[in-house]
Amino acid sequence: MALTLKQQLSSPGGVLKFLIKYNTIFIFLLLVLFSAIISDVFFTSVNLSNLLKQVSGIGIISIGMLIVILTGGIDLSVGSMVALLAVTFAILVNIFALPLAILITIAIGFGLGSVSGYLVAYQKMAPFIATLALMTVARGMGFIYSKGSPVTFKTYGGLFMSDFANNSFLGIPNIAIVFFIIVILAMVMLRHNVFGRIVIAIGSNEEASRLSGIKVNKYKFLVYAISGALAAISAIIVASRTNLGSPNMGMAWELDAIAAVVIGGASLNGGRGTAINTLMGVLILGLISNILNLLNVPSYPQQVVKGGIIIFAVLLQRFENK
Amino acid sequence: MADMQNTQSEYRLEMTGISKSFGIVSVLKDVNLRVKHGEIHALLGENGAGKSTLMKILSGVHQRDTGRVLLNGEEIHPKNTHEGRVMGISVVYQELSLINDLSVAENIYLHKLGASKFWMNWKEITKDAQELINSLGFDIDASATVRNLSIVQKQVVEIAKAISEDTKVLVLDEPTTVFDPTDTQKLFDNLFKLRERGISIIYISHHLEEIFKIADTVTVLKDGVDTGSMPVSETDADAVIRLMIGRELKDMFPPRDIRVGDEAIFEVKGLTAKNTLVHNVSFSVKPGEVLGIAGLGGSGRTETAKLIFGADKKKSGSIFLNGKEIQTKSPADAVKQEIGLVCEDRKEEGVFLPLSIRKNISVTNFKSISNRFGFINVEKEYAKVQELIEKLNIKTPNSGVPVENLSGGNQQKVALAKWLSIDSKVIIIDEPTRGVDVGAKVEIYNLINEVAKRGVGVVVISSDMPEIMGIADRILVMYKGTIYGELPKEKFSEENILRYAIGKPLKN
Repeated sequence: MALTLKQQLSSPGGVLKFLIKYNTIFIFLLLVLFSAIISDVFFTSVNLSNLLKQVSGIGIISIGMLIVILTGGIDLSVGSMVALLAVTFAILVNIFALPLAILITIAIGFGLGSVSGYLVAYQKMAPFIATLALMTVARGMGFIYSKGSPVTFKTYGGLFMSDFANNSFLGIPNIAIVFFIIVILAMVMLRHNVFGRIVIAIGSNEEASRLSGIKVNKYKFLVYAISGALAAISAIIVASRTNLGSPNMGMAWELDAIAAVVIGGASLNGGRGTAINTLMGVLILGLISNILNLLNVPSYPQQVVKGGIIIFAVLLQRFENK
Repeated sequence: MADMQNTQSEYRLEMTGISKSFGIVSVLKDVNLRVKHGEIHALLGENGAGKSTLMKILSGVHQRDTGRVLLNGEEIHPKNTHEGRVMGISVVYQELSLINDLSVAENIYLHKLGASKFWMNWKEITKDAQELINSLGFDIDASATVRNLSIVQKQVVEIAKAISEDTKVLVLDEPTTVFDPTDTQKLFDNLFKLRERGISIIYISHHLEEIFKIADTVTVLKDGVDTGSMPVSETDADAVIRLMIGRELKDMFPPRDIRVGDEAIFEVKGLTAKNTLVHNVSFSVKPGEVLGIAGLGGSGRTETAKLIFGADKKKSGSIFLNGKEIQTKSPADAVKQEIGLVCEDRKEEGVFLPLSIRKNISVTNFKSISNRFGFINVEKEYAKVQELIEKLNIKTPNSGVPVENLSGGNQQKVALAKWLSIDSKVIIIDEPTRGVDVGAKVEIYNLINEVAKRGVGVVVISSDMPEIMGIADRILVMYKGTIYGELPKEKFSEENILRYAIGKPLKN
């Protein structure tokens, strides 16, 4: 695969430009093709539906990560937040009615994200540091509230959620539908709403944004809060799939989310990136795991291959800027 | 080769036939500069004449397109400033290049760090630096952190840094803008000492007074061409000015037939900043009036603009719009009150380089192109942006082009368009034509007139004297953070502006 692309890259012409511009989508399609050729089970509905279920949780936090990265920030706390909020949801769903439990969980996610947002926007703390601290705090709190062991769903509301999370609608897993809706919402907000314009403007030039009358702090605060809320939605989905909330959930997910955003061509300096490309990034990462599983590659070599592909994908994007 | 050896005796530095273009913009055309051993050579020219570029070619920041540079008769081709320094060329730029978090001594010897020694003897280095500064006649602690120094002290450190080694050619770019007369005199004494040591000094300054006090020879650049060199003793200020300006000024500046309103549209009273030198600034602008603010670099002009705009914190003072007091605690407040600011530093503060023209222009104007849920009406946006592109004659195939692909002049128009898309009542323009070619300059002047005609109060800050005299109806001159004097149109002259700018009353 690498070789064909390399050959194509060395030959000039319009096809090449097209390839470079949509490289994320092409990498995705190539991976799909590759997977379909080498594995008979890849194109079965069971496998595809499994793949979508596996990526939905990380996918949702990747969208939050994208919005934060667009402003030039980073949110390292999302993985731990998923753990804490999954535990929180499991506890709440055993106490309150389901809609209330969902709402409170999302509100807590928004609140935790707001803490990062406040530290970054109003205390001028480096995003890396502020969210690193939140990451540790959230993971620790997850263990405290769960007393170190998973909290299982016990009520009707919990059972309803786990039914929802494991079923499909028209062949598409419900949780993937939730993920896709979030992707579409993000696309619309980033492309057609003032919110997206401002987020991209801040990432592109924060001082010019401020001097154009944009309330930079307000929006920087907001993106972390949104990222927190999306971590809550991700947590609810992940907990529901397994019928429990565990403080070990979402381990290192923040790194996968960053990888997905970067594979999707976003700039870590901010100002550049789209929701659709982040979706591609998420699917590419998911595909790699999926195909390696189908090939019975053990998990340690999987990590090596995954890392290699991330480097390759990002190197490819250099051509895009020329 | 034999010829080269012969020339060695007369000139320390010879730059001949130097040309340089950036993209399609030709900055230097066949420029010659010859500097003797141990002379102070003044390099004059208006802003944008190419002085800085010529010096950057000398020091290795830029590479010349054509021409030769001979140092002591040998052709040199420094690829970067480090190479330039090793060859003996030191430059003190207008923008200070010190590292704020290091000490004075560390800054002075920065270029030597890691060069030869593994072990740094800081005690010794600090002692050397202290001796160097003392020998210049200034009193600065060499172990102090640069961040805590005043701007004058920083400038001294910058100069000390430049001459802390075997310098053959020393270039000083506007070194005295922040100095008071005593400090200036100290600097001159030092320059005379350096001249005696045989160092050749290239001195760039707008202060003709200074030139005639210290320089031996003067070379004038105009629009990238050198208009000749002569001994200072054989010329006078008038002749030099004629060489500098050269073109007919009245061609550049369109006539203004604007009726200025009676009541002030905008007024500031006793404005004092919390964190900058700006204090007790008061002035008013009438609708239709173009008010100029002149002054030397560091006199607080840009800081005043930022203070009005809410980008810096105020300590005291008040701002009135149409007679009503307004608060501008943040730029967002100022924009809400329909005050616009075109920033001096276009690339860092004015435009979003990677974003499209459309996104740049719309950034102040979301209210009128989106509904109450914030969704953008694309048709409205396109129409609005297209109208401004045509009106301002922004040269681009379409509004989707990233601003970084535009020329300086067109970028500046985009920065201005941002404030015209909302109907600003007051627009402050800081250095309207910095880095803008002559053609676009005239267009921008026309635009300023047109904006004023609509009854907008326009404040123009500029270091370019012909420019500010050409477009302003009235000029305020700032000195050390406050307004030192005001010049009505009939008193406009470079000399008057300069006198106020250095804190002196007018002559007669």
